[in-house]
Amino acid sequence: QIVLKLWILLFFLFPFFLSENMNYLVTAPQSPVVEIGANFTATCVITNTTEVTADDLHWNLSRTTLPRELYTKINTSALNVTVPIVGEKPEWLFCASKKDSLYVTLNKSRFIHGIWLKKGYRPEKPENLSCIALQEGDHISSTFSCKWQTAGRQTPYVPTTYTLMVKVLKDEMYNASTTKNSADVLMVFPSHMSLEVWVQAHNLLGTVESEHLKVDDANYFVKTNPPLNVQLIREEIFPTSLLVNWSHPIAPQYLHLKYQIRFCPRGSHNWSYVPLSDTDQHTRSFRLQSLQPYTDYFIQVSCKHTKKDYGYWSDWSANATMRTPEDLPERPSLWKTTADGVNGQEVLIICKDPILANGRITSFEMRIQHSHNGSWENERIPVNRSISAPRPEVTLLKRISLADKQLVKVCLAASNSVGMSPERCLFISAKPLGNGPVEDLSVSPHQGQLFVKWKPISDRSLTEYVIEWVSGEQINWQMVKKSTNLTAIKGPLEPFVCYRVSVYPIYATRIGKPASTEAFLEQGAPLEGPSINKSYTGYDHAELVWDAIPLHQRRGFITNYTIFYKSGKNTHAITLPPNSTSYTLKPLLGDTKYDVWIKASTIRGSKNSSSHSFTTLKYAPGRVEGIVVGVSLGFLFLVLMAILLCIYKKDVIEQNLWPQVPNPGKSTIGNWSPDNPLRAETPSEDCLSGMTVHVEGVRDIKQGLEEDKTSLSLKKDKYLSEEHSSGIGGSSCMSSPRQSVSSSDEDPEMPDNTANTVQYSVVVGPSDYKGQTPVFSRSESTQPLLDSEENPDMLGSGGSRHFQRFPRQSSLSETNQETHFKQLELEQQDFCSIKEDTEWTLASETQLADAEPGSASSYMPQGGGYRPQ
Amino acid sequence: MWFLCLIDVLKERDHESMQSDCETQRRMNGHVRKMYFQQFLEKAATLLYFLLLLDVNSTKSVVASRNQMCWENLQQSLRLTRLVNTETKTLFKEYKTYQGEAFQEGFCKAQGIRIPDPTISGLETSERIASIYTHIQAFLPHLKRVQEQQTDLQPPESPLLKKFTIVEDNSRRLAYCIENFYHSSFPNLSLPEPASGPTTLPPPQNVFQQKVYGCAVLKTYKKLLTNIINEQRTLKSRLRRPANAITS
Repeated sequence: QIVLKLWILLFFLFPFFLSENMNYLVTAPQSPVVEIGANFTATCVITNTTEVTADDLHWNLSRTTLPRELYTKINTSALNVTVPIVGEKPEWLFCASKKDSLYVTLNKSRFIHGIWLKKGYRPEKPENLSCIALQEGDHISSTFSCKWQTAGRQTPYVPTTYTLMVKVLKDEMYNASTTKNSADVLMVFPSHMSLEVWVQAHNLLGTVESEHLKVDDANYFVKTNPPLNVQLIREEIFPTSLLVNWSHPIAPQYLHLKYQIRFCPRGSHNWSYVPLSDTDQHTRSFRLQSLQPYTDYFIQVSCKHTKKDYGYWSDWSANATMRTPEDLPERPSLWKTTADGVNGQEVLIICKDPILANGRITSFEMRIQHSHNGSWENERIPVNRSISAPRPEVTLLKRISLADKQLVKVCLAASNSVGMSPERCLFISAKPLGNGPVEDLSVSPHQGQLFVKWKPISDRSLTEYVIEWVSGEQINWQMVKKSTNLTAIKGPLEPFVCYRVSVYPIYATRIGKPASTEAFLEQGAPLEGPSINKSYTGYDHAELVWDAIPLHQRRGFITNYTIFYKSGKNTHAITLPPNSTSYTLKPLLGDTKYDVWIKASTIRGSKNSSSHSFTTLKYAPGRVEGIVVGVSLGFLFLVLMAILLCIYKKDVIEQNLWPQVPNPGKSTIGNWSPDNPLRAETPSEDCLSGMTVHVEGVRDIKQGLEEDKTSLSLKKDKYLSEEHSSGIGGSSCMSSPRQSVSSSDEDPEMPDNTANTVQYSVVVGPSDYKGQTPVFSRSESTQPLLDSEENPDMLGSGGSRHFQRFPRQSSLSETNQETHFKQLELEQQDFCSIKEDTEWTLASETQLADAEPGSASSYMPQGGGYRPQ
Repeated sequence: MWFLCLIDVLKERDHESMQSDCETQRRMNGHVRKMYFQQFLEKAATLLYFLLLLDVNSTKSVVASRNQMCWENLQQSLRLTRLVNTETKTLFKEYKTYQGEAFQEGFCKAQGIRIPDPTISGLETSERIASIYTHIQAFLPHLKRVQEQQTDLQPPESPLLKKFTIVEDNSRRLAYCIENFYHSSFPNLSLPEPASGPTTLPPPQNVFQQKVYGCAVLKTYKKLLTNIINEQRTLKSRLRRPANAITS
């Protein structure tokens, strides 16, 4: 019953659901694939309702309402829209009602209908279709492969499928589909059958075919294996030929093949090809000719369909190798070079194997004819080389001296197992023979070779040229025809090596004068900079001397040197020509350290030398000598001026130094009456005990005295002689300190004596002459002195001149004698103040030095004592 | 064709001319009439001469074209026959190898086995070519039967089966080439049906019988191919080689 009720319920509700799900708008077409770039037209039809009309409809593309210009009203219940398709992404095209009524609003989902637009591009014709069928075993493979170039674009939603179509017969067709640009078809390969191949590009928007590839023979597409069993056969009687044999890679019933042969000698990477016209037959052998004797050859063979433009060339066969038989060698290359260490009088006869040795050279047969006797000297130089050893470039044949033979003729032939080559002769002399050198010689590198060019010599006797290139100890050469004026050096050349290239004209076996130049195959930056080996520095300049870069490290032509020198932060650069080896840097600062380095440059780069430092001199040379000479001359001038002044102003000086003293002899005191008896006092120790002579300033004064030593020396002897002649000497307290010193000189016991000597006065030297005229400041009175003058002892020992001075010294008051002595003792320091003006009688330096400060500062009681005058 | 067309044209021209002459006759005297008539005859003769030349050249080119096609078809069929012959020989050798060591070629006699005769029959060239075609067609079911039998006897990856396929496919193509050659040589003739009707295959056999049958089929087919090659060589010698034909 429940089931029955449910069925009844569904029966009544079905129309309701049916009517509820019924859409009032229907769009067409449904699920179309539209072409991008084209216009698409859709139609919206109103069904089962009169609620809306075509005027109430609108179209939306995704979320964009399309403008009414794109609409076409068919009738009141149908509306078209034509929309351009852009973009690759699929999208919805909706038809909806815009009427604002209650019914439409409530049943909005029933008033909208959409179209899902899948977009794509039409397929375009595939291009460049090509196919290939490879050989498999002894037949053509069943896999027939084709590839092509796709054209146009495609979207992921509308992909393009390519179908490879192969038609053999009208009812025998094969195909293979792919989305890529290549496909394989499996079939028994239809050899000799016509074949038609094409590619069909297909997608939802259409189908297009490529050009049909029609061939009357399917072998058009065949690529066979390379020829089999390629072999080389040599025949001793044909030293320049090799026979090549091979097998067909496939039976001729499949296809006829033509062949291609290439070969190259060992060590060469350039293949030589046999002309196709010689091998375009279905053959299995070929004879290679014009080969080099005794040379290893590699041969490879390839094959292809005989018919023109049919098939593909097979891969090359594996190498087949064979050495051609030996043949007679060609003429060897004979040359000479100067022996090392001998000044051109000895030459080495050298040779190279013939360019075409045509075998293994076993010996050289040399004949030498000396010019002085014309006899021939035969010599056989055996050559022992292993087969595997590399062939030497140059063979030394003989060393000959040309000291006594100015000219020798050398003839040389090479031998191998087949026989002997023709001879090559050369006249060798110490000096070049023949005419002058070639002109305009130039050597230039080009594409890894050195090309030598020169201006040819127009001389009938010219037979050939020899191009010689030397690098260090290595020498090499080649011979070229006389008509040649440009040739490439054929020999192993190394980059960055300097070669000295010479061109020798050969005049009927005589060697002419060479022209030479240097060249590099390839230049580079120097490996090392120049080494500064010396620098001569001056006050404002410095000379640098450096060594040129060794040739093997130069690696190119030096274009210039650049000297950099730096002091502090300033760097200076000087560019010099390439032939410089020294340079003087100036102006430089004196007493300054400089760092200097030299950069050597080539066209390919440069290299700095190691840094070198030097310091310029503090004084320029002669400056010190000039100063010394100048000072000396000035001093001499001053001395001379002083001497002249002394000479010319002698009187003035004398007057100033020695003022006029009244002659006591002429004094009236001489007539003094004895009524006033002389109180002669025997010099006693008592009278001198308290006397102190202040000599503290002696040392200071000494310095000043020495300056005047020269000038005073003129007077010294005189005065000294007078002093020594004085009778006062060390026996009188009145004697000057100088005299006391002098006496002490004579008497080693003097210190003891002076210790016993007591002076009663202080000697004050106010600009007097060196204490010769000491001033005794004890008293102004001269009376006691006058008394003493009358003393016979004193008279006997006194000199006339000194004696005359005593009256002045006698001004010292006797009454105040002791008082003054004490004062003097107390006022020792006061004497210092006058020491500058005091001139003492010069004692010897030793005396002064020996004088103890204590002893020098005071007068000790004199042994002689002071005798009252 | 050209010639027939030209005759029609001339007839029309004669009719028109005669009408024109009658009108002229009414207006002109006999001398004038004779002059016009002579001029007309000269022109007609010249035109006829050129048309005949064109027809001859056209016939020549058609014959040359047909000759060229025949030559090429013969060349193609000959190359293909040689290829199939080579493949059949290889297949025959391998077949014997694959049948076991005890199998001998002496077993491969076709006596008592219903296999088409390899002999090419017919007196006329067309008959002999048709015989070639029918023989090849007759052998194809036998080859197919042998391959099926060998499929049961050999492992699936056996190269023998692949070679059977190659020979079968190329034999079918050979038959097509022969047919083409026949049609190009005798365009007005159609290939006759085999006289003995459809090919009858042998009844069910045991393994040894299958091996012997297969060997006999291959051996006979090899003979047939050799005969075909000889026949084609004979035909080739009879045909004049076109100037632009490609040598094989």
